[in-house]
Amino acid sequence: MNVQTLERNASAASRQQGKGFVEVIDVVKKFGDAVALNHVNLTIEKNELFALLGSSGCGKSTLLRILAGFETATEGKILIDGEDLARVPPYHRPVNMMFQSYALFPHMTVERNVAFGLRQEGVPRNEITERVNEALDLVQMRKFAQRKPHQLSGGQQQRVALARSLVKRPKLLLLDEPMSALDKKIRQQTQFELMNILGKVGVTCVMVTHDQEEAMTMADRLAVMSEGEVVQIGEPTAVYEFPNSRFSAEFIGSTNLFDGVVVEDEPDHVYIESASLPVRLYISHGITGPLGMDVSVSVRPERVVLSRAKPQQPYNWVQGVVKDVAYMGSYALYRVELGNGRMVTANVAGMVLSQGEAPSYGEEVFVSWNESSGVVLTK
Amino acid sequence: MKKKFVCKLLCSSLLLLSSTVALAEDKALNVYNWSDYIAKSTIPGFEKESGIKVKYDVYDSDDTLMAKMLTGKAGYDIVVPTSNFMAKQIEAGIYQKLDKSKMPNLANLDKGLMAQVAGADAGNAHGVPWAWGTDGLGYNLTKVHAILGKDAPLDSWDMLFDPKNVSKLKGCGVSVLDQANDVFAATLHYLGKDPNSRNPADYQAAFEQLKKIRPYITQFNSSGYINDLANGDICLAYGWSGDVNIAKHRAAEAKKSYQIAYVIPKGGAPLWFDMMVIPKDAAHPEAAHKWINYIEDPKVNAEITNEVFYPTANVAARKYVKPEIASDPTIYPPESVMKTLFLLKPIPADIIRLENRLWTQLKTGR
Amino acid sequence: MKKLIQRWLPNGRRTVIGIPFTFLLVFFLVPFILVVTISFSQQQLGVPPYTPLTTLKDDVYSIALNIGHYKFLLQDDLYFATYISSLRIALVSTLLCLLIGFPIAYYIARSSESVRSTLMMMVMLPFWTSFLIRVYAWIGILKNDGFLNQFLMWLGLISTPLRIYHTNWGVYIGMVYSYLPFMIMPLYAHLVKMDLTLLEAAYDLGAKPWRAFIEVTLPLAKNGIIAGSLLVFIPAVGEYVIPELLGGSDTLMIGRVMWDEFFNNVDWPMAAAVTCAMVLLLLVPMALFQHYQAKVMEENKR
Repeated sequence: MNVQTLERNASAASRQQGKGFVEVIDVVKKFGDAVALNHVNLTIEKNELFALLGSSGCGKSTLLRILAGFETATEGKILIDGEDLARVPPYHRPVNMMFQSYALFPHMTVERNVAFGLRQEGVPRNEITERVNEALDLVQMRKFAQRKPHQLSGGQQQRVALARSLVKRPKLLLLDEPMSALDKKIRQQTQFELMNILGKVGVTCVMVTHDQEEAMTMADRLAVMSEGEVVQIGEPTAVYEFPNSRFSAEFIGSTNLFDGVVVEDEPDHVYIESASLPVRLYISHGITGPLGMDVSVSVRPERVVLSRAKPQQPYNWVQGVVKDVAYMGSYALYRVELGNGRMVTANVAGMVLSQGEAPSYGEEVFVSWNESSGVVLTK
Repeated sequence: MKKKFVCKLLCSSLLLLSSTVALAEDKALNVYNWSDYIAKSTIPGFEKESGIKVKYDVYDSDDTLMAKMLTGKAGYDIVVPTSNFMAKQIEAGIYQKLDKSKMPNLANLDKGLMAQVAGADAGNAHGVPWAWGTDGLGYNLTKVHAILGKDAPLDSWDMLFDPKNVSKLKGCGVSVLDQANDVFAATLHYLGKDPNSRNPADYQAAFEQLKKIRPYITQFNSSGYINDLANGDICLAYGWSGDVNIAKHRAAEAKKSYQIAYVIPKGGAPLWFDMMVIPKDAAHPEAAHKWINYIEDPKVNAEITNEVFYPTANVAARKYVKPEIASDPTIYPPESVMKTLFLLKPIPADIIRLENRLWTQLKTGR
Repeated sequence: MKKLIQRWLPNGRRTVIGIPFTFLLVFFLVPFILVVTISFSQQQLGVPPYTPLTTLKDDVYSIALNIGHYKFLLQDDLYFATYISSLRIALVSTLLCLLIGFPIAYYIARSSESVRSTLMMMVMLPFWTSFLIRVYAWIGILKNDGFLNQFLMWLGLISTPLRIYHTNWGVYIGMVYSYLPFMIMPLYAHLVKMDLTLLEAAYDLGAKPWRAFIEVTLPLAKNGIIAGSLLVFIPAVGEYVIPELLGGSDTLMIGRVMWDEFFNNVDWPMAAAVTCAMVLLLLVPMALFQHYQAKVMEENKR
């Protein structure tokens, strides 16, 4: 089989996409008294790149290790392609992993590293050579086949690790913090390369990361995890635009949160009163909850508008003083201090900056946003 | 000719590094003797009488002494090699002639024994015996009688050298001294050859004889056999007189159910003397002469025998020796037995090498 | 001031290297050269018991090298047999140490960090007692009426005592006991350094635990195995005390032959020749090994 056939198979596979290729059903994992995973449920589709996102200790790595078979779930089931993996040891699972440290065998050449998994299966020698070459071609590492891992750069090592985990054509590929060992500079390019290769091969992928940018860039869907529980599942844009909780909102990107109380709730809008604002918060969609309920409103910095003049609208604004301006290249990050000492973050696009209208340090400004920019968070 | 392993190791490992701390004053004497070979009162008595301070070191093997003496500048005034070793060392020219006029007590020495010693030291010019002993057979009488019957020829070398006899004793353990020199001498004697032969063919013949009994020898051992004999682990030992007597005493003290005995086989056995000599480079030859004279004082001499169970060549001392020791024929053999004993004499280096080579071959079965 | 310090620094470095260098020169090389000279001299009865190599007679300074002892080494098959026997005993001891030491080192390396140091402490604890005394203690355990036989008979496993004392088995037990820590320490050092995710990677790629052990753990511990084996093998070849105390009269080892040459035969030149031959026989494979190691290191650097 050569690269073309690999690709052909991949596209064939993506056409017959089915639901629930990998199913994590009510998985609980306890280490002694500590609960690492608390009734986690996930459904991952075939050929999907699914990211588990969360800060360290949230249980994402534990879940990945359970999928790989290095840990056993205390309760619950894992199904891959309909097969229950509870009793299957790691070396019999149709699952391969790309380790955070790559875990390349230092005493073997690149070629032998990639061939390792095939040799364990007792694949005939000429087929091994063929498949190893094919995998190395895929990651463009064939000319380094005779090198030892320590003779390669970080990026090259990563590609070898990828080839090694793909060469067995696993049903599920696990990526453990795939970019964390790389320099920041080459990360972005590598992300695209990796997605490109994964797309070519067409493999179902679960990726663990603490880096929300990485998850946003690469994942088809992601699950935000916190303290052993899944907080939110969805496509990156959906989770970003409509976080369902303070945790999601704060973890994915930065945001401004205003605590308040619901004072009017209609199907098409909601009014919230907050101690931080002189006016009400107005959001053009309803919520389901009683009046007087405590909620938070999340407003993304790029939705915030700064102006010298008082906004026309009778809602969604507040006055403050510019305390910090950080130029980030394509945009500037403003931090505005409100009367009660709270800080609001705003992104001002570069275009606005170049027109010379942007407020500067110490200036008094109005902070405002429109009625569709706020998201009400009930938890 | 007693042996203890610990010291053999320790002494020899220190051998090349140590520079002996010799007492520098004129009124001093450095003695190097076998361990456990002196009475408690001997040294204090000498120091009191002469005013000379004695530094007394001990060793456990002639090899150690030999190596130390041949290295030179050992710093001793009196050393006590075994007669055949002494002979070689005299040949190497490391001992001085004694001034007998300074030692009136030498008159107490047994003329017959001194004539024997003269075989290793012409005219008794260099050495004076400290003590002496024999090689012979040690038995666990009770066990041997049970196996071979009451009329077994215990007083014959046939017990060891005739495969007919020794093969039956294999089951209860047979030990032979790990000393090529002693064993070859006894074997040559058993074959009717000169025990101090210089003919390589004789040694080949002795080797062939030893090979016949090799399968029945359960251990080659020069010190552990004392315990093994006392504990009933072996029932026949080719060993040294003093050692077997120690085993006998130990078994008796432990109230064992069996009896141990030492036998000097009929027709003769190796005889050896441990000889006091003065090295040429001795710093205090005067004091050394005084020491030898003091040791040959009958009462001083008898005290040593009373404590260590070894006979000496001092006739005058005999009457001060405890009666139970003096009357023990295995310690003081009767005249008829004495006549049959033969002295181990020095043999040339190439014969020593041949002997040791055959010995290794015998032990390893190669 | 700075210059002064800088000028002094390489000097300090030289001193640091110089001290062990001088130590080796004075206490190893010089004595060894003396041994080599003795091996070319002739045995004689006297002080010292060998002839000088050089003589000055009638204004002629002559050096006489006697190679007879080396010739004799080749002629008498005793020496060859002794070398083979020593190598065999050392090799078997090394293998036994490896077989026993590896699981121990592995277990310690995989224990929790707090337990590790305690376990390593226990491995090294015997060094607090003299080597000679520890070997002596084994006599008490192994001899016919020793602890081991009494215990086995009490258990009813055997009816007559096992003959271990004064046999090659005794030597192996003594060797393994004495040299095991030297095997465990380098093995432990390598195993504890090992990245455990490599094993997970192996499992993940379909290797069963024993395959992962053979294909990953063992090769990664290779240098530890080599270091430990050399640390055991080299002193074991020249071992004297253990075969002398625990071995039988037919236990043939270089140390004992040297003892015989030196003490029983009083043939210092022959003893020296045996020593030189042993050093040569051990040095050559070690030098080859070193050369090979250096080459591998060089390649890895490139």
